[in-house]
Amino acid sequence: MHVPLLIIGGGLSGLAAALRFARFIPDVLILEQHSRLGGLNSYYYRNKRLFETGLHAITNYANPKDKKAPLNRLLRQLKIKRKELDLHEQVHSEILFQGQESLRFSNDFSLFCREIELKFPSSYAGFTELLTLIDAYDPFAPADFISARKVIQDKLHNDLLTDMLLCPLMYYGSSIENDMDLGQFVIMFRAIFLEGMFRPGGTIKDLLDLLENHYKGYGGKVRTKSCVQRILTDGKKVLGVELTSGEEIRCDYMLSTAGSEETFELLGESSKIKKLPRLGFVETIFEIPPATKLKKAADNTIIFFNTAATFNYSSPQETVDFRSGVICMPQNFQNLASLPYKEIRTTHLASYKLWKKHAENRSVYNSVKDDTARSSLAVAEKILGNFAEDIVYRDTFTPLTIERFTAKKEGAIYGNPSKIKDGDIGYDNLFLAGTDQGFLGIVGAMLSGVSIINQHILTRI
Amino acid sequence: MTRDAIKDLVLEIIEDIDEDADFDTLESDKPLRDQLDLDSMDFLDIVMELRKRHKLQIPEEDYPELATLDSCVNYLEPLLKDA
Repeated sequence: MHVPLLIIGGGLSGLAAALRFARFIPDVLILEQHSRLGGLNSYYYRNKRLFETGLHAITNYANPKDKKAPLNRLLRQLKIKRKELDLHEQVHSEILFQGQESLRFSNDFSLFCREIELKFPSSYAGFTELLTLIDAYDPFAPADFISARKVIQDKLHNDLLTDMLLCPLMYYGSSIENDMDLGQFVIMFRAIFLEGMFRPGGTIKDLLDLLENHYKGYGGKVRTKSCVQRILTDGKKVLGVELTSGEEIRCDYMLSTAGSEETFELLGESSKIKKLPRLGFVETIFEIPPATKLKKAADNTIIFFNTAATFNYSSPQETVDFRSGVICMPQNFQNLASLPYKEIRTTHLASYKLWKKHAENRSVYNSVKDDTARSSLAVAEKILGNFAEDIVYRDTFTPLTIERFTAKKEGAIYGNPSKIKDGDIGYDNLFLAGTDQGFLGIVGAMLSGVSIINQHILTRI
Repeated sequence: MTRDAIKDLVLEIIEDIDEDADFDTLESDKPLRDQLDLDSMDFLDIVMELRKRHKLQIPEEDYPELATLDSCVNYLEPLLKDA
């Protein structure tokens, strides 16, 4: 078999790349090792109901008229109409540093400004200077690492506010510890605070089906349960892949969304990328009946919280770091149809190494997983109020769950801390897209796929 | 293809990219990019649509030739003379 373009990975970056290419040249093939598409943002069934694996909210909300906004550019590139998506904006969200301060924000940025002016009056002038900087900064121009923390602190002169600004941006897309690159900070600040959050009216499955149907409508092909054993090369040219089944598929161009180190492994090459600690996460879903009333969960969409004296975003020494994290109420988006259940999702940083150790003994692993759900519940109850008695279903994903289903090394959802922004890994016709290219979130992942196709492949083929 | 037909073709492709594109005030000797709020990603769409519809291979170094509606017509006229 020979295709013009072969894509490794059917996550959102791979799907968007495939769809972009198939609009013009239909014979694309996506290879996905799992039985379903979506990668990190997929779904599974329990108790006859669909559960989303990764989706909390989609960032980068944009009004239809704003043509240059990432979301609208993406939809134009994929020839998808906004109305096909059924967008629902967040109600509002909160950054809560318990015992210290809280800041509310919504898709109306002026709320966030008012909150900062009210609660951090002496930093407000600095905050407006920071906004000017963010507005003028080009995060896509090649640049060395600049510490976002230092830039923010220089403007705000307030450690607490600096941490509170960084907390949501780190939890929703930083692969590095306790700091961010300024460019990444600017991208995430725009995506979360200036643009805002939304979700589709249905589930992630509807979004994946929409993309898949458009793609297949152009003639594109998908093969699930197809795991690549190795990439076949001739010098710096890739020829195709060999699947674990032994089958060979040849191609003119290849796009790998499998991660940088993972791709080098398939090439039989050692990665020259600097090794930095990868960040693992645990997530627990608590399903509760709609009748359960919790004040803070009534209309908050997402709560980014910290309960410690200082905010620490790094790989924990213990199995899970419960001191900070994210609490998401996926039903709290505007005008969603009412459902027969509600969810509360909690996320914390976790140690892959320790989970791996626990997994040497199945019963130890399961009991640590139970303990994790209970401890996370206790943290959530301190913020939201009690709901332990009402829980009808509960499930916990560990870094090992994520690694198993998404093939992301060490279950690190934001991938390698070192990003390859231009997708060029030194081969003539193989490029990298997705998490390790550096765009994050659903809109970011899709733009990653589209931009690598545009930049490296459509202009050459 | 006549110059007018080429012009219509380009506008049709742009309309396909952005259904809200406003051609009423479009000046044919001014950059399309500024007037219609198009970015480089959108320009690639024009190139790829021309390829798909008329089997035209436009090399990357020629993309600047597509800057204005007039320059598009000038550039495409010899390429589409038999179309």
